[in-house]
Amino acid sequence: MSIQYGLGPLIVIVLALLGVWLRARKIALVIALWVTMVLVVTAVATYSQVFHGDWQDILLLVVTVLATTSAWDSIWFLREHRGIRLERYYIWWALFWGALAAIVLAENLMVSWVAIEFSTLASGALVVEMGNRRALEAAWKYIVIASVGLALALIGIIFVYAGLRFQGLGWETLAYSNLSRHYHAIAPIVRGVATIFIVSGIGTKVGLVPFHTWLPDAHSEAPSPVSGLLSGALLGLCLVTIERFVAAVPQPPTALLSGPHLLVFYGVLSIAVGSLALLVQRDIKRLLAYSSIEQVGIMAIGFGLGTPLAELAAFLQLVFHAAIKSTLFYLSGHLSAVYHSKRLEKITDMAKTHPGLAVSWSLGILALAGIPPLGLGYSEWIMLHAMWETHQVWLIIVLSLALLVTFAALTYHLLSGLWGGLNFSQYSSNEDNKASGDSSSTAAFGEEMA
Amino acid sequence: MAVAGFLVFAGAVGLLWSRNMVYGLLFLAMEGMALTIMVGSTERLSLVVVAIMAATLAIKVALIPGSMFRVISRWPTEFRQDQPLPFWAYPVAAGLLLAVGHVIELLTPTGIILHRTLFFYGLASVHLGLLMIVSRRHVMSQVGALVGIENGLVVLAASVAGALPTFMEFGMLVDLLVAAAILVWMSHRIHRQFKTIDVVALRRLRG
Repeated sequence: MSIQYGLGPLIVIVLALLGVWLRARKIALVIALWVTMVLVVTAVATYSQVFHGDWQDILLLVVTVLATTSAWDSIWFLREHRGIRLERYYIWWALFWGALAAIVLAENLMVSWVAIEFSTLASGALVVEMGNRRALEAAWKYIVIASVGLALALIGIIFVYAGLRFQGLGWETLAYSNLSRHYHAIAPIVRGVATIFIVSGIGTKVGLVPFHTWLPDAHSEAPSPVSGLLSGALLGLCLVTIERFVAAVPQPPTALLSGPHLLVFYGVLSIAVGSLALLVQRDIKRLLAYSSIEQVGIMAIGFGLGTPLAELAAFLQLVFHAAIKSTLFYLSGHLSAVYHSKRLEKITDMAKTHPGLAVSWSLGILALAGIPPLGLGYSEWIMLHAMWETHQVWLIIVLSLALLVTFAALTYHLLSGLWGGLNFSQYSSNEDNKASGDSSSTAAFGEEMA
Repeated sequence: MAVAGFLVFAGAVGLLWSRNMVYGLLFLAMEGMALTIMVGSTERLSLVVVAIMAATLAIKVALIPGSMFRVISRWPTEFRQDQPLPFWAYPVAAGLLLAVGHVIELLTPTGIILHRTLFFYGLASVHLGLLMIVSRRHVMSQVGALVGIENGLVVLAASVAGALPTFMEFGMLVDLLVAAAILVWMSHRIHRQFKTIDVVALRRLRG
């Protein structure tokens, strides 16, 4: 499976370079077909394991499905943004896909760290490919903040390695299986410090509040097929990496800042900030980005609670969110293109002007708002049930309120987008209306959309 | 090894203190040289160790400072200087260094620290690098700070683990190379599109 995954992105890079060399216009289509073939092979190879509930195979399938949809959407996206250089786009895209697969397949904490860091660099470069000033600013903040977060996580990893250096196993020391067998040999205070660094450091990549400031910028300025991968796949995979570490290196029950405590704390902050921020968003992609913060908050609480039911709910939330959010990001890109703007007050009367997009958008937003039977409603209900079982009354209150606010905000934006019947305030900052000069057509388009 | 650690720490102080970008690059190269020597003195010489030394030398002494210099040298003189360090940064730096001493006192009983002095140099370099990111405004200062933090991490790792596994060493090196390459490329684009190198100009998006 690992070889197949190495081959998948590698062939994409070769195809992209060949496409430029041969000046083949249909190379994006060939790449999409190749990624679809990888999906078919992956589905066949993991079929039985997926139905037995093997989480790693399920995540692998999710990543491949998202990569396939992203590859198909890239064809449409690149037609809308002719200024983007095809070979550079696909090279970074392939590296990003490879990094996502590596995060899933990693059996070693250090490999996970390297894969997460490479996913940052590849996706950051993809954001820059948009070519406009806002994208450049977003990418800069994304790479610098995420790199600092991951440097802190590396301190934690070094401490864990040092705690087990007596084993003399080399990098195998950091294998999750080895950590879970020998974690008790690490002094509790060292485990505690390492946990704080690793949860907070990788939590920066998850977009957990208060380390989230880069996320709305990067996700909203990235190419839409990449935003789908960033939000749908990367956030959840980084959270799963934290969960794997926390499960492998538990702390004494009396520890104040243990991994589960930190996950619940950051999760509560994230759902509060994410849901409230939805109310005041004026940019279609930032709306989805803040929704992602809220969603990863729910997942973090689930992993933090740690009961089988809560973990099942968090995992289901991750899978449903991946499917729904990636689709919504693709759609938001096309809506921005047809309306020549990302401003929500300009994306109105969708039901009359673009009925096809309107139906898909409505279904996606309703699913995100938690309307049953569209997936997330189901997993959120299980989450509340898990909280009830563990007598977490305050968590139930906070999550219920957050879900209510999220539902209100998303339906408000949906109704306004479909029929434009609600009056938006005429707020429009001068700063956002200033077009910034840039030579490329993509940059000009990006600025116009901003 | 302690001398190499001290040179990395001195490089971190120099990076933070220096306004001149070219001096900053010299400090980075000095850190890279010290780390190369440290790798050689930590482990018994073997083919792998020589490969790590060569990679460290190539990446941290030649490639990263060299590519940064190449970009900076194309800019007009006024873009080769950073703003003065804000006043608040001095007491914060002192506080961060004192905090390292406290961390050492806290961790010593666990037996995790092999070399207390080296640990001080490593963690202090990381702290100063983090301070540099929040206090310096030149885009290249931020790139230099990230490289400085990574250098500090290598010293920190040597102080608690002796030597890191080869995979970790190479993983960190390649990661740093790619990160620095992308950030230097972006610095060039920021200068071209924003007509400035001041990160304060990056304020259209506010989280």
